[in-house]
Amino acid sequence: MRIGIACPYTWDVPGGVQVHVRDLAETLIAAGHEVSVITPVDDERTLPPYAVDAGRALPVRYNGSVARLLMGPVSAARVRRWLREHDFDVLHVHEPSAPSVSLLACMLADGPIVATFHTANPRSRFLTAAQGALQPSFEKLRARIAVSEAARRTLVEHLGADAILIPNGVAVDDFAGATPLPGYADGRPTVVFLGRIDEPRKGLDVLLAAMLQLATTVGDARLLVAGPGDTAGLRARLDPRLRERVDLIGLVSDADKPRVFASGQVYCAPNTGQESFGIVLLEAMAAGTPVVASDLDAFRRVLDDGRAGRLFEVGDPGRLAEVLAEVLGDPGGTGPGSTAERVRHAHTVARSYDWPTIAERIVGVYRMVSGDGRVSVASN
Amino acid sequence: MVVVALVVAIATYLTWLALRLDRLAARVAAARGGLVTQLVARAQAAGVLAERAALSDLADSVARVRAIHPVLLAGGPLDRGVELAENALSRSLRSGEVAAAGQRFPAELHSVDSEAARVALARQFHNDAVRDLRALAGRRLVRVLHLAGRRPTPGYFEIDDALPARGDLPGLAS
Repeated sequence: MRIGIACPYTWDVPGGVQVHVRDLAETLIAAGHEVSVITPVDDERTLPPYAVDAGRALPVRYNGSVARLLMGPVSAARVRRWLREHDFDVLHVHEPSAPSVSLLACMLADGPIVATFHTANPRSRFLTAAQGALQPSFEKLRARIAVSEAARRTLVEHLGADAILIPNGVAVDDFAGATPLPGYADGRPTVVFLGRIDEPRKGLDVLLAAMLQLATTVGDARLLVAGPGDTAGLRARLDPRLRERVDLIGLVSDADKPRVFASGQVYCAPNTGQESFGIVLLEAMAAGTPVVASDLDAFRRVLDDGRAGRLFEVGDPGRLAEVLAEVLGDPGGTGPGSTAERVRHAHTVARSYDWPTIAERIVGVYRMVSGDGRVSVASN
Repeated sequence: MVVVALVVAIATYLTWLALRLDRLAARVAAARGGLVTQLVARAQAAGVLAERAALSDLADSVARVRAIHPVLLAGGPLDRGVELAENALSRSLRSGEVAAAGQRFPAELHSVDSEAARVALARQFHNDAVRDLRALAGRRLVRVLHLAGRRPTPGYFEIDDALPARGDLPGLAS
């Protein structure tokens, strides 16, 4: 099929939606489809051959993160030209509620349009206020997909529309069999954290507090923190007792991500809320690293109620330290309830989210909505 | 001058509303077509299973929906009678007899289940489109000015299309 995908956020700024769009596009291309992506981008040279530049986006605070958005006559002209030049069988817009390229594409196109909703935000003032303005564009959507139950609920509550659930995919094979980063192959008990360090809801503070307590039970335990943010500022305010135990390596490339997981004996997701989907958990599970995560709905679901990883009470550093100590001190059995058994089950779960499987379900949706005619430029 | 601008603005707005109604009607028609295609595909797959496994109850339900499918394909309404017949097929597909037959004919049963899952999707796409159209067509301005023209308001299509639990579909680990 000829598939057009619109990505609302700046391509060369790391983010879940961008990664989703890239992996989906590449999986579809590998399956023999013709795919073109349109996206805002800062440095056009970072675009892969299948992507088209929609212009530069402005940073705006949205839903607790910084989103970079784009609406304007120049981008509109580029989107219109992109639609005209490609003659798509289906247009797939991501997060069309953000004022950016996806919404533009939705406004400008006619025909089979599919939307994927990523955000879970039960009290979005923006969505509530914008509902009336979005409706004319949203009523063109032939099918709505939500990547998580929480994202689906957000959609139902704010826009009164249902969506089918197709979760995020994981490139399982990219994560298996990686070698640890230099300096982490020595077997010293290592906890891995991956995510923005200055976003409170990612929960790094909970994990740092737990590390202080863990130091008393697992003497040589260390923490590897990978993710963007103000590393110098964090290092300065770190408890002196943690200085030798916490390594801040900043943003890692996608290519190094599997190596980050391979560098730890346990991956920890201490998030305190608003997490729509545990994509990083699935990556750790695909890598074969034991997972310890806060007991949020999304995480509980991905971890199969604790059978594929350990859960601890949200925001409780004491409990987290205990669970980490148990996993790090695992005696090495393979029976029921053992870490090895959980890791094995985690890999099976991760497999069911493998990108080719997920992309096939998305193509099924494309086929169902694209029976009659192509995507064209709307007449209004 | 002001009056002219006002008239132009109102006319533009009304034209835009009419355009939206047209577009929604086209979306409902496309969704309806997809739904009918999918109902036919489910009946086809169920017919194959009924024949191979010699299931007479299932064969009866299939015959009943097959009798009405030509009418649907010719544009007939998705009314109560259709809902009842498709519901009867859904029920037959959930019977123990069918589950047992699946042991001997796993490929046939899998094909029935995939088509049935797509019926559920097609029905959701149809009802979403109907809901959006009804929301706009129900606005007072649209009703008073008859902007929707003579088109009848489409109805929702309600059948029980829940799938029997036969193990999880890939990626549905939720």
